[in-house]
Order: sequence, then C-alpha cells, then structure tokens
Amino acid sequence: MMVSFFDQFASPSYLGIPLIAVAIALPWVLYPTPPARWINNRLITIQGWFINRFTNQLMLPLNVGGHKWALLLASLMIFLITINMLGLLPYTFTPTTQLSLNMGFAVPLWLATVIIGMRNQPTIALGHLLPEGTPIPLIPVLIIIETISLLIRPLALGVRLTANLTAGHLLIQLIATAVFVLLPMMPTVAILTAAVLFLLTLLEVAVAMIQAYVFVLLLSLYL
Amino acid sequence: MLSRLVLVSGGLVQASRSFHQSSQSLAPVPPLPEKGGKVRHGIFPEELFTLLYPKTGVTGPYMLGTGLLLYMLSKEIYVINHETFAAASIGAVVIYGIKKFGPSVAAFADKLNEDKVAKAQEVKDQAMASLAQGIEDEKKEQWRVEGRHMLFDAKRNNVAMLLETNYRERLHMVTNEVKKRLDYQVQLQNLHRRMEQEHLVNWVEQSVIKSITPQQEKESIAKCIADLKVLAKNTQARATV
Repeated sequence: MMVSFFDQFASPSYLGIPLIAVAIALPWVLYPTPPARWINNRLITIQGWFINRFTNQLMLPLNVGGHKWALLLASLMIFLITINMLGLLPYTFTPTTQLSLNMGFAVPLWLATVIIGMRNQPTIALGHLLPEGTPIPLIPVLIIIETISLLIRPLALGVRLTANLTAGHLLIQLIATAVFVLLPMMPTVAILTAAVLFLLTLLEVAVAMIQAYVFVLLLSLYL
Repeated sequence: MLSRLVLVSGGLVQASRSFHQSSQSLAPVPPLPEKGGKVRHGIFPEELFTLLYPKTGVTGPYMLGTGLLLYMLSKEIYVINHETFAAASIGAVVIYGIKKFGPSVAAFADKLNEDKVAKAQEVKDQAMASLAQGIEDEKKEQWRVEGRHMLFDAKRNNVAMLLETNYRERLHMVTNEVKKRLDYQVQLQNLHRRMEQEHLVNWVEQSVIKSITPQQEKESIAKCIADLKVLAKNTQARATV
C-alpha cells in the first residue's frame, strides 16, 4: 500500500465509526452557550461580541426580509471558520476538504435563494439575468450567458472551498516533508521553515475563505 | 452502564427531596470566579504541579514531561515526520499570536464588560442624583412654604390698607357731596332772606315816599330852612367868639 500525500484526505474511520461525524460535531463543543448572566467571562464576552459584529456587517446590505437568513449565515460562518482552523493543527482531518460536504452546503443554499427569489418576485429574479444597458443585438447571447453563470454558482462555491483547503493542506504537507528530508543538509532547511511559516499564516486566510463563501452566498440573495 | 447508574442515582437523589418544602430557586446565582484557573506555560493547570509537589518537588512535573516525551520518541510511539514540522510551525504561529494579541484581546473583553457595568452604574447614579436633587428641591419648597405666611400677611395688610383708603375716600366724597347739598340749601335760604329783606326795604321806602304828602314836604322844607338859619347863626356866633 503506497502512502501518498493524499492519504490525509481519506475520510478516517475507527472501528467502523466514521470519524468525520466527530470532526463535524467538534466545533459545537468549542463554543460555550452564554449562561443567563449579565456579565460573563472574557471568552463568552468576546464570542458574543464577534458574532454580533459579524451578523451586523452581514445584514447591512440586506433589507428586512433578508434578515431571516441571519442565523443560518452566521452559524455557517462560525462553523466553517472553526473547522478550517482546527484543520491546521497536525494530525487533524478537515471535513471541508471533502467535496461532498462542500457541495452539500453549496447546492441546497444556492437552490434556496433561487427558488425563494423566483417565488416571491419572479419578474425581478428573471430580470437579473439581463444586466442593464446591454446593446440590443447582444440580448439573447447575454441571457444564455447569465443563465449559465447562475447555474454554475453552486459548483463554484463548493469547488472553491474544497480546492482552496485541499491545496493549502497539501502544500503544508509537501513543504513540511521537504523540510524534514532536507534536515541533514542544514541551510536550506532554515529557508524552507520560513516558507512553511509564511504559508501557514497565509492559510489562516482560511478565515478569509469563509468570508468569501458566506459573502458570495449573501450576494446571491436578491431577496 | 456506569453512566446509567449515575443518572439513576441522580434521579433518586432528586426524588428523595420532598416536594415544595423550600423555595427552590437558583437565585441569587453564585458569582463567577474572577479569573480563570491558573495555568503554567499556557496549557498545564497549576493543580498538576501542586499535586506532584509533595512527592517530587519543583522539578517533578518537568521530569514527567521530559520522560514521557523521550519514552514516546524512543519507542517510536510518536514518530518524527513531516507533520512534526507542520506542528512546530503552527505552534510557533499560535504562540506568537497569543503572546502578541493576548493581553490586548483580554483588555478588550474586560473593557466591554466594564462598559456594560459602567452604563448600568451611570443609570443608577443618575437616578440617585435626580432623587437627591428632588429631596433638595422638596426641602427648599417646604422652607418657602414656611415663609409664605409672611407673604400672605403682607398681602393681607396691603389689601386692608387699600380697602381702608378706599373707604375713607368714599366717606370724604359722601361728606363733600352732602355738604354741597346743605350749602346749597343754606345759600338758598340766605338768598331768600336777602331778597325778602330788600323787598321789604324797598317796599318800606316806597311806602314812605308815597306817604310823604306835599303838605308834609313843605313843612319839612320850612323846618329845614329854619334849622339851617339857626345853625348859621350858631356858627357865626362861634366864629366870632
């Protein structure tokens, strides 16, 4: 059995229990429920403040109808951030590297926005397919293009998340292996270690990844 | 199994407590501890060190850690591979982040809580201040009320004086009017009397003049001439003497 770099992305199971369920359930444990106190400890204060700020920012462009999505989007954001950050630790498995999980997030949510848009205001939803001010001869072509772009959206969302995370993890593994192998030969190691560190800080742009995910989801809300 | 036993025993404990004998409320909730549990090196709780101190002294836990690490390495329970470096880098990043931003984040959280408490405290202080101010104002009003009777006395005096003055004026007016009427009557009577007097005098004169007959006139004239002669003689006589 060949050990390859892609083994880290195999869904782990232990004694027949798919551990991915544990990995997905883990973030829930990490955020304590605020108790019914007026002044809490620092962790809960910061947690509450952060969620507050984030939801506020998220709901700014939306009208009141869009605020129904606040809970879903905020919890989605926290969930994805936690999972991605936890995946940076060694010997951990990141569920979001599985395309199935990300498509499971992308397709239903995207479909929901489209269907709700079509149901509540079909004319406006269809009108989004044609940008304003297009020259008349281009109209048929543009409608086809816009429809394709609309249908591609869930694919883009899911694959973007998967690809970014997988690529990041893979790179970490590769460079770490390079460092490990080059350890007997000293100088190169130092440079490569620095590269790993830098890459890691960039990878805590997994957070930005989530921003992108949720934001794109939000942008597709023409509710 | 054990957990089930725990649950059942917990339930039994609850059941053995008699119903509704005491007010089973959770308030006042016991206060949260001010600081979190003490840790050394960020992860290891201080209780571990306190636990091992009697037997192994200060260096006990460190020896334990080193021994564990070396054991795991030598028995290849933990193999150094590429993930070790990944772990080292992420460890370095995390520790750097915590050391750099830890205190400021903690201060921020504390500030959030402080602001909350300060707002409530301000409300309370303002309420108290307004109430104290209310008490002050009330006292002032009461003091004012005490002095109010002087004001009323003065006003009453004023009014009494005005009434008095008015009364006197009207009295004068009445007197004057009555006097004018009476004077008028007096003048009228005087006039009457004077007119009657004059009339009488005129009448008497007229009647006397009428009553002088010519005879009497001649006699009187003759008498006058005789008197005049006598007088002339007298004066002549006096003049020569």
